[in-house]
Amino acid sequence: MLKKRIGSFGIILIIALIFIFLPFVYNNQSFLFNMMLYIALAEGLNIIYGFTGYLPFGYVGFFGAGAYSASLAILFLHFPPLLSIFIGGMGALLVGVVLMPLLKLSGAYFAIANLAASQALYYIVANPNLESITHGPYGISLASVYNPHASYYTMLAVLVLSMIIVLFIRTSNFGLSLLAIKEDRITASLAGVNVAKARAIAWGLSAFIAGLSGASFAWYVSVFYPGTVFSLNISVIVIVFALFGGIGTIAGPLVGSLILYSFYNFIGISTPQYFQLLYGILIIVLVLFLPDGITSILQKRKIYVP
Amino acid sequence: MSLNNLMLNVEGLIKEFGNFRALDGADISVKEGKILGLAGPNGSGKTTFINVVSGVYKPNGGKIFFNGKSIYKLEPHKIVHLGLNRTFQVPKPLSGLTVEQNVKVAAVYGSKEGNTKDKINSALSSVELDNVKHKEASSLTSAQQKLLGLARALATNPKMLLIDEIAAGLNQHELKRIADMLIKLNKFGITMIVVEHLMSFLDILTDDVVVMNAGVNLFRGSIKEASMNEKVVEVFLGR
Repeated sequence: MLKKRIGSFGIILIIALIFIFLPFVYNNQSFLFNMMLYIALAEGLNIIYGFTGYLPFGYVGFFGAGAYSASLAILFLHFPPLLSIFIGGMGALLVGVVLMPLLKLSGAYFAIANLAASQALYYIVANPNLESITHGPYGISLASVYNPHASYYTMLAVLVLSMIIVLFIRTSNFGLSLLAIKEDRITASLAGVNVAKARAIAWGLSAFIAGLSGASFAWYVSVFYPGTVFSLNISVIVIVFALFGGIGTIAGPLVGSLILYSFYNFIGISTPQYFQLLYGILIIVLVLFLPDGITSILQKRKIYVP
Repeated sequence: MSLNNLMLNVEGLIKEFGNFRALDGADISVKEGKILGLAGPNGSGKTTFINVVSGVYKPNGGKIFFNGKSIYKLEPHKIVHLGLNRTFQVPKPLSGLTVEQNVKVAAVYGSKEGNTKDKINSALSSVELDNVKHKEASSLTSAQQKLLGLARALATNPKMLLIDEIAAGLNQHELKRIADMLIKLNKFGITMIVVEHLMSFLDILTDDVVVMNAGVNLFRGSIKEASMNEKVVEVFLGR
């Protein structure tokens, strides 16, 4: 167990060092920021989906809730950005607590209900009648605190936190209890696991990470609209990234995001028409031949994937 | 019967599914350290009884006392923590996990007493699955998966086990092996209710049998007495 933890911690350290020093030699900071953002989100989704099997199609709801909670803390309470980012995480956690009854649903029903909940949140935030609070559809401007460097490194901290949480879950008895819930809830409860509590913790952690990510994103871009931070594309992209790499590990969502987001940037922006085609083919190949993600190639050979 | 040494005491248990009463006032009790056989035709409520007592289904009425405490409508994990566990007729392994991990979850979360490693090893060796502990649970045979279910239950340090048709679908050799295993566990002090279709299997384990029909207990006594009881013969063979 200790060996595995140290190995996984090594990976986290390497990723952190890469993102600390890369901006000095590679000047597309926005690409690096988004890369960190998607890895953190894929790891956050991994907590709930990879370890308990609940597929949160409305995961973006937490992202948007985090972006808005942090922004409102900056604009109305005049909190400093770092504290506001934490408020963003807590805002998403609060949404998670409100949506907790959804965990009583399972499979597609949960996914659909969660999707609907995230869209309900979007329409509430974008409602013109709430303009005095959320600025409605006109979006948020955080120009007064704009600081791309500080927000970049805040995102890095969130990324590291998300990976450490997954590392803990992956190598702890708590993680084993979550996997037991994923396999069979009744068997897990008869093994003595408090199913409702364990999945609530996983759900909360997952929401918290998405909230911190959304808040960091809000600070980084400084100007955004409800449609930006509640876009369903974010949910879909994050789910695909996590699945592509392989859920239930730290490495899976990391590798999936690194490959697919790079792929998206280098082909998707220059030749979007080919990108859609290649992306489609890639997903079909993945579903047909590697439904457990690319890291499953190693796992099938009994090689431990952190 | 003195109430003091009753491990499980169920009175007037009711479970409804819509308009259907699967349990219609069942009264069943077991003394500490004993094995009670629970027999009855298909649909008589045996498995429902186990599901309700173990907390998997919520009852609609009645009383359930385990070791003197009411466990009525308690969550399954809380019932497990009090020392009551069960096995399933159709095994429900944690398929993607190894045999050892299956038992480890139960050893860690089922009971705070004892060392986790010791609990895992002793549970696995009690059911003779120690040689396959690194295998994935899904790769086990059905008989092995039933034993794994028993091992998981044992790892939670139970005082009492509800065994649901563990003999169904097993061959003679496996039957004998499992019967010996259950007798041994009982000698170590685990009280049991064994639900079973096969009277011959129950006969090896106990001479105290309850026959259920239509959600109530119809008869209690030895298997020999049961076979001579008119009502029992009627529900099993029809008039």
